[in-house]
Amino acid sequence: MKKRTLLALISALLVLGLIGSASAQEDHSADLSKVERKNRAPVSKDILKVTLPRATETTLSNGLTVLILENHRLPMISMQMYINGGGPIYEPADMPGLASVTAQMLREGTKTRNSVQIAEQAALLGAEIGASSNFGSSATVVNISGLSDNFDQWFALATDVVLNPSFPADELSRLKQRMKAQLQQQRANPNFLSTERFNRAVYGSHPAAVVSATNASIDAITPAMLQKWHDERYAPQNSILGIAGDVKAAEIVPKLERAFGGWKKTGLKEVLPENPRPVPSKRVFLVDRPNSVQTTVVLGNIAIDRRDPDYVALSVANHILGGGTTGRLFLNLREEKGYTYGVYSSLTALKYPGPWRAGGDVRTEVTGGAMTEFYKEFQRLRNEPVPAGELDEAKRAIVASFALSLESPAELLGDEIVRKIYGFPPDYWDTYPAKVTAVTADDIQRVARKYLNPDNMQVVAVGDVGKIKSVMEMYGPVEVYDADGKKVGN
Amino acid sequence: MKPITKVAASTALALLLLVTAAAAQTVKFTDHKLKNGLRVILSEDHSAPTYSISVTYNAGSRDERDGRTGFAHLFEHMMFQGSENVGKGEHFVLIENNGGGMNGSTTADRTEYHETLPANQLDLGLFLEADRMKSLAITQANLDNQRETVKEEKRQRHDNQPYGQTFDTLFETAYDNFAYKHSTIGSMDDLNAASTKDVTQFFKTYYAPNNAVLVLVGDFKSSDALAKVEKYFGSIPSQPAPPVPDMSEPKQTAERRKTLEDPLAQLTRIDMGWKIPPGNTPDFFAMYVLGEILSTGQSSRFYQTLVRDKQVAVQEGAGPDERRGPSLFIVDLVVTPGKNPQEAEKLVYEELEKVKSGGVTDDELQKVRMEVKRGKVEQLEGTLFRAEQLGVNAVFYGDPNVINTGNDKLMAVTKDQIQKAARTYLTDANRTVLLTVPKTQAGGAK
Repeated sequence: MKKRTLLALISALLVLGLIGSASAQEDHSADLSKVERKNRAPVSKDILKVTLPRATETTLSNGLTVLILENHRLPMISMQMYINGGGPIYEPADMPGLASVTAQMLREGTKTRNSVQIAEQAALLGAEIGASSNFGSSATVVNISGLSDNFDQWFALATDVVLNPSFPADELSRLKQRMKAQLQQQRANPNFLSTERFNRAVYGSHPAAVVSATNASIDAITPAMLQKWHDERYAPQNSILGIAGDVKAAEIVPKLERAFGGWKKTGLKEVLPENPRPVPSKRVFLVDRPNSVQTTVVLGNIAIDRRDPDYVALSVANHILGGGTTGRLFLNLREEKGYTYGVYSSLTALKYPGPWRAGGDVRTEVTGGAMTEFYKEFQRLRNEPVPAGELDEAKRAIVASFALSLESPAELLGDEIVRKIYGFPPDYWDTYPAKVTAVTADDIQRVARKYLNPDNMQVVAVGDVGKIKSVMEMYGPVEVYDADGKKVGN
Repeated sequence: MKPITKVAASTALALLLLVTAAAAQTVKFTDHKLKNGLRVILSEDHSAPTYSISVTYNAGSRDERDGRTGFAHLFEHMMFQGSENVGKGEHFVLIENNGGGMNGSTTADRTEYHETLPANQLDLGLFLEADRMKSLAITQANLDNQRETVKEEKRQRHDNQPYGQTFDTLFETAYDNFAYKHSTIGSMDDLNAASTKDVTQFFKTYYAPNNAVLVLVGDFKSSDALAKVEKYFGSIPSQPAPPVPDMSEPKQTAERRKTLEDPLAQLTRIDMGWKIPPGNTPDFFAMYVLGEILSTGQSSRFYQTLVRDKQVAVQEGAGPDERRGPSLFIVDLVVTPGKNPQEAEKLVYEELEKVKSGGVTDDELQKVRMEVKRGKVEQLEGTLFRAEQLGVNAVFYGDPNVINTGNDKLMAVTKDQIQKAARTYLTDANRTVLLTVPKTQAGGAK
């Protein structure tokens, strides 16, 4: 019944525009607060103690790391394979899209099955097999799932797809045509345009600056290049296979050994590109999109990687500033001012440092007012200690949300994979709540001052440049681009 | 390994389905009614320390009157602005700071509110839903503020996006009756015209316990939960039943066709709609299965023909939009750059003719049954999906158990039913076609 729900969504559903599950903040300060607290609702003061299941961990003889989360409640099995070292940040600079095309082409033919057979068999087995390689990622991710009662059948199909792709030329040419159409379509999307310009602004020469393939790179890709990428980059010793659901570790490991027997260990090591560094001075990039009734604003700069000791404190700070519908940005720009349908902030922390960023879509006429409020909130977080109650509640929100993650084996598996990718200890998630709880108001202020700095803020605004340029000039030297990504002025 | 042939795989699967049919997954629940008319559905599930609460009101944009379009949805926003014992903005704070999630949504046929929370916060979710049902704070300031937010929502999701007007235009063209003809987000003029008097009246008429269904799914004891529901909701007075809107549609006698120029679109898009019966009817289920066969997955007919083989489309979709009144079976495609939209449209009709003349295959039915089987398992994973489905089925059809029987009916759809439904509804005279074409303005976005 999934599709019916989906159609209802695209045709008629209007939601409040709330995001995610857990995020929190409330605002005690007198001048800005639009939260009126009556404190009459019955709230249990206990944070529900939850025990997160621990994955069984093993390494196959070819070096593949396997994490298994047994959960026999439902007859379902989900798998996620992280092929580390196979992501777009390792692509040659002139070949954006190589990793992504390789991933998409896995389903289009193997040595013994053609594209139609793969599609037919997956559908008949009720299995889902998909692979993607997102720009900025160091990995290609394969998602496979199905019912446990025909596991052997769909798992055989899935391993064939992952290990023995044939990259047929005719299917590649079809995919290329679709990709070019997508490239053209995404230039109409203000979020794409803002992300493209923002990533170029903050990442500079780092490969994460790239957010899409180009017509030239699509034209240049050949089956031989895909085969070479697959041969060299899909290496078991760098990869992690996570399995969650109705499996027994003792039974599945021998099956995995057999299935992956032909996938040989290689000498490939992941060598990260040189880290991006924060841009030292403030700049403004405008992307002209006439006919826009809103301005899409993104502000931020490079912050930290996932292993950084500041990660937990900056996560909590981000939560307070713009992590959800109780973030200061949302309460101010949406609930108080009515400038926007939603504004949020986020932190991208991977194997290499990524940006902290804030942003949203505001109507053209209030672009200037919205910018004032963004900076006001940055300064408030930097200059004023977070009130104790507000901080406690933000931390409580993060910790309490672990209970909700227990509804989803896939989410729990995701946490386990994160732990493994970054080399965190086995008790990482068990001790995470204590680390969150230990964050102080001083910590918040310290990381806000360090990473949310108006003096080196990178600002991107997509909209009607004729109407917004004068207000945006207040925030740094301006460069203007067109929707095709070409610089057209200052 | 040896490639499995299509036939061998499907035979094996047919056996498998027989074997596992006995172990089919069902959603178990109990059904109650309070004295004030509030219907309460409880479904215990102790697999995670969480629960979801969903309140579905029998009110949607179909209940709006001319000149007040967008009102049901604007009202939905008001429901987060405070009530007698909950301050403005406090609802968000209470849910999120306790690790939960929430949202509300409005369609033509209903409005729904929900929270998912840790199991120890059962009282919190019930209190919040009861307090706003009992005593919503309706003030001019809240209305003005939320009106701005909704206008921003309309700008962000409709006016500033490619194809942002497409669905509304399709419905407006296909339907004759005002109820489904007008958009749920409404017009800027109507939003501007809404008054606190309108809000008060709408609240009193539609947000009464006898016009709502409350569902709890998750980690609680039903007897405890029911006592708490009684405690929080029992004293809310019932109201006279709201008027039942007229949903009738005159029989369509000729194709309707429109072209929409879209300054933000890059590629031509074609949307086609055929009127079909409401949800939870045999023909609706048949058309649902047909939609799966036409467009779900890479082995579907539209993907194989329109996208992969003939390459006239870069995206395709097909399926019914479930409604309580006349639904629409919608086919949409984005035309490949350089390809002729007329050719793409013709190929869709050729594919539909193949179904009408030749029917569908056993394998195709088998694939849908497998998908349904999988869906039945997946719906047991999180609590929220079940809560929403139980509520919607109770409001739409008076029968929460459609969450289970709907799956069974999908499983039972036959080839003959599909062919007959396709012949009945997918006719030229019953069709509405909308072309959304890029509009290049001088100096405008490409």
